[in-house]
Amino acid sequence: MVAAFNDEEELLATLRAVLADVLGLDEARVAAFDESTELFGALPEFDSMAVAGLLTELEERLGILIEDHEVDADMLESFGSLASFLRAKALK
Amino acid sequence: MNQSGGLSYDRYTVDGSSEWMMRIGPAEAPPIVIVPPLFEEMNRTRALVAAMMRALATRGFGCWLPDLPGTGESDRALEDVVWEDWRAAVTEAADHAAAASGRAPLVAAIRGGCLIDDAAEGAGHWRFAPVLGASLVRDMERSGLAGTSWAGYPASPSLKAEVEAAVPEPAVRLRTVRLASDKADADGKIAGPSLWRRSEPGHSPALAEAAAEDLAAWAKTCAVS
Repeated sequence: MVAAFNDEEELLATLRAVLADVLGLDEARVAAFDESTELFGALPEFDSMAVAGLLTELEERLGILIEDHEVDADMLESFGSLASFLRAKALK
Repeated sequence: MNQSGGLSYDRYTVDGSSEWMMRIGPAEAPPIVIVPPLFEEMNRTRALVAAMMRALATRGFGCWLPDLPGTGESDRALEDVVWEDWRAAVTEAADHAAAASGRAPLVAAIRGGCLIDDAAEGAGHWRFAPVLGASLVRDMERSGLAGTSWAGYPASPSLKAEVEAAVPEPAVRLRTVRLASDKADADGKIAGPSLWRRSEPGHSPALAEAAAEDLAAWAKTCAVS
C-alpha cells in the first residue's frame, strides 16, 4: 500500500490534489497556490474539522505517518510550510 | 412486487435481530450487494453510494445496501456491536439477495467495507479505495482534535481493536479499483475526489457513474447477469 516518493514534483502534485479533494476546492485555484499561499485560518474551507481528513489522506497517499504532536498551526499555516513538512517526511 | 427498478426497503436477519436493507432495482435482477464504508465515511459517501446504485439499476442490476448492525436504522446500539456482527451481516445480506434473485451476488465494497466483504463468497468481489483498518482508526482518533473522539461514534473497545487490526483479506474473483490520485497498486483507476474525507459531505455524479460502469463490467465478467 505504501508508495515511494522520491520526486519533489510528484509530492507537490499530491499535496495539491489532496487539498482540492479534501477541502472541495477548485483544481485551477489549487494549481495557483505557491509557497506563500496561506492555508489554515485563511481558507474558510480549511477548518479544524478538515484537518483530520487532510492529514490522514496525506498519510495514505504519501505512505508516511504524522504524529499528533507534529501538527500545529505553523505547520498548517501555508502551502510552503505544509510542503516543507512533507518533504522532510516523504523524500528520501 | 417492484418491477420498475425503484427504491424499496427489505428486512434481513443477523443473529436473530432484524436489520434494514435498501434496494434499488428489481429483486429478481442480477444482484449486487454493496458493503458500505464504516463510521463517518458511510455518511460522507451516502450520496455517492445511492448514485452508484441508481446507475447500476439502469444497467439492469438489483442493488442491495444493508444497514450494518448498530448503524443507520438499526435497532441495535453501536456500543454492543462486535466485529463479528458486521461480518455476519455481510454474509446474511448476500444470502438474502441470493435467495430473492436466485443468483449469487457480486459483492461490491467501498473503503472500510473492504475489511469485511470477504465474509460473503458471492460470485465475485469488487473493491473501491480499500483502506487499512489502522488508517481508519487513526482518522477517527484524530477527529478528537476537533473536540469529539471517534467523531461521536461510541464503538466498544473490542470493536475498535478489531477495526485497527483489520486488513482487506484475499477474495475470489477480486477486482480492486482506486482513485486516479492514489498511487497504490490497483486493477483499475477512476478519476474523482475522495469524498470520504470531506467534513462537509459532497457528491460527484461523474465519479458515481464511472464507478458504476467499472463495477457493471466486472459483474458481467463474474457472470452476474
